[in-house]
Amino acid sequence: MVKLFAVGLSHRTAPVEFRERVDFGRGGIEAALDTLAKRNVGREITVLSTCNRAEVYVVADGDGAIEQVTSFFADYHDVPANEITPHLYVHRDADVARHLFRVAAGLDSLVVGEPQILGQVKTAYTAASDGQFTGTVLNRLFHLAFAAGKRVRSETGLGEGAVSVSYAAIALAKKIFGDLRRLHVLILGSGEMAKLTAIHLRAQNVRQMTIASRTRAAAERLAAHVPAMVVDWNEVHSALERADILVTATGAPSTILSRDDIARAMRTRRERALFVIDIAVPRDVDPEAGSVDQVFLYNIDDLQAIVRENLARRSAELERADAIVASEAAKFAAWLQSRDIIPTVVALRERFEAIRRAELERLRPRLNALPPDARAQVDHITRLIVEKLLLSPTEQLKAINDNSLAATYSDALNRLFSLPSPGETGEDDDPSDGKRKRP
Amino acid sequence: MRLIPLLLYAAAAAAYAGHFAWRDPRIGRFATALLAGGLLAHTFLIGMQTVQAGHAPLVGTSAAVSAFIWLLGLAYLYVELTADERSMGIFVTILLVALGIIPALDPAVSSRPPLLQSPLFTVHVLSMLFAYASFALAGVLGFTYVLMFKEIRAKHLGFFYARLPSLRVLDMMNGRAVVVGWIFLTIGVVIGAIWAMQVQHSPDPRAQAMSIADPKILVAVMCWVLYSFEVYARRAIGWSGRRAAWLSTIGFVIVLLNFVPVGYFLTRSHNF
Repeated sequence: MVKLFAVGLSHRTAPVEFRERVDFGRGGIEAALDTLAKRNVGREITVLSTCNRAEVYVVADGDGAIEQVTSFFADYHDVPANEITPHLYVHRDADVARHLFRVAAGLDSLVVGEPQILGQVKTAYTAASDGQFTGTVLNRLFHLAFAAGKRVRSETGLGEGAVSVSYAAIALAKKIFGDLRRLHVLILGSGEMAKLTAIHLRAQNVRQMTIASRTRAAAERLAAHVPAMVVDWNEVHSALERADILVTATGAPSTILSRDDIARAMRTRRERALFVIDIAVPRDVDPEAGSVDQVFLYNIDDLQAIVRENLARRSAELERADAIVASEAAKFAAWLQSRDIIPTVVALRERFEAIRRAELERLRPRLNALPPDARAQVDHITRLIVEKLLLSPTEQLKAINDNSLAATYSDALNRLFSLPSPGETGEDDDPSDGKRKRP
Repeated sequence: MRLIPLLLYAAAAAAYAGHFAWRDPRIGRFATALLAGGLLAHTFLIGMQTVQAGHAPLVGTSAAVSAFIWLLGLAYLYVELTADERSMGIFVTILLVALGIIPALDPAVSSRPPLLQSPLFTVHVLSMLFAYASFALAGVLGFTYVLMFKEIRAKHLGFFYARLPSLRVLDMMNGRAVVVGWIFLTIGVVIGAIWAMQVQHSPDPRAQAMSIADPKILVAVMCWVLYSFEVYARRAIGWSGRRAAWLSTIGFVIVLLNFVPVGYFLTRSHNF
């Protein structure tokens, strides 16, 4: 009887210092998969590793796999077992699906609804399936997980709206300018906030980034981090004329750009919009500048308000997302349960085949009198009869996706045909399996 | 039969509204299918009327409105399929349904008076209608631009912010729609003028009324001035964004006024 387990830890059960110690990403997922395979942990394995979680998915023959995976975690990362055990959680069978689907949908993420996790789950699965470590069960499990993740993404607003100030600013910029790749960005200031925003904007492949700071050296230090041009502080006004996005994050005690400064810059640039992101406290740009035509001025409070709204909206979508995950998990559970019937199907077919062979054996003296052609015909016809007799029952049994019904059928068939109990047949997997390697 | 296009447009409007509210791509595809179905039925209807009347059904305001709806639907469907952007659908289909009531109430196909038996007439009407359809799209784009612009300026990112494409995309599409409309409007007005000169000795009183003083012609020329200014302002003085959006919205309101109330009640030259 195959069992499905997920063993791992996440930001919910382990602090970041501990998660760092069990990060599979460092040595590569492939190495971890190979080690698990060498230890004969199970028939199918997948390792999921992100900065917030490390999990091993296993299809094995018994509960022993849990112990094996636990000691693998300890040995592989060189962490004492008694230290790691309190952080580990274990999910079994249908619960594994519920857990993985929640993970894939971003419901279990540190920032609920964050979009990267689905890609990370895909990477984990691809690594395992490329190495032929997955089989029928995990293939099915992960494909349904992708579907669940996609459904949550497209049918709920869970992933919508930026939930950090930098992303909120970028999302706004995209809503104003569309593509950011043709844009000029001017950054005033060289502190931590300036740096963070510069890195995020750089990641959007903006055309040009210019940095100005009152101390040129500080601007140059930042420019070394994010490829950018440095201009002197007294050139800010002319740089502003070229800019599409202005980020101000200086430590100046009062405003450094008045409404007139902004209005003057706008005059020379026709109607091209200017998006001003003032994340400095106290503010760098006169709030009145927001009334200049084609100027969009957002300060740190405005952006934080957007983030708060988005977070509230996301949590309102949680219930719908949970319902989707539950319905997808139920599909997997039904499928998993229906697989329990497969040993019975195999046993039934073997039983019929055994009877056929026994009868042919019994009749061998008489059959031997026939010409070889006719003997072959008899063999063929009897085989055909058995196949035909079994065709409909096999199909019907495989179509059952209700656990108790499957058990009833199994029981009845076992009695009617005195079948050996499951597990004794030695083969309990779907004969139609695709690629599968038994590690 | 004549109600089928309208019913399909109404169903498409409902589906586009559902798509806009819930952003479910399946509802969106369904809406597109309904709109395409409506346009197909409408094409069939226009074809039938052409066979019945022996000429394109362009005579009279309700026939012109019907042709306008058909062109607008086709133009929108083209934009939707090429830009892969469905959020305008709700606004366009509402317009289709609102205007579609006119030909539905007044379905008779007018016969063509001798005055209109000229190939110039068909070219004139089709150019004007296509220009109006482009301006309708530009108007919708401008209107949604203004809606979203206000949301962003008010720092209240709400309903439209989450649903519409970026301001830049709206602005760019608006600019294109205005240029296309302006080209066809120019052709339509020039052809109309040539044709009016050709028929000025006709005994038909409507031919005598063909002058710049006629409200319909006056408003059309005003539209041409307005849209010429918009095209010029965009190219030469860089007017884009909010001002262009407002111009397109106002321009389309004038177009609509000229089309329906002026066409029905005021003009003495275009009351066919």
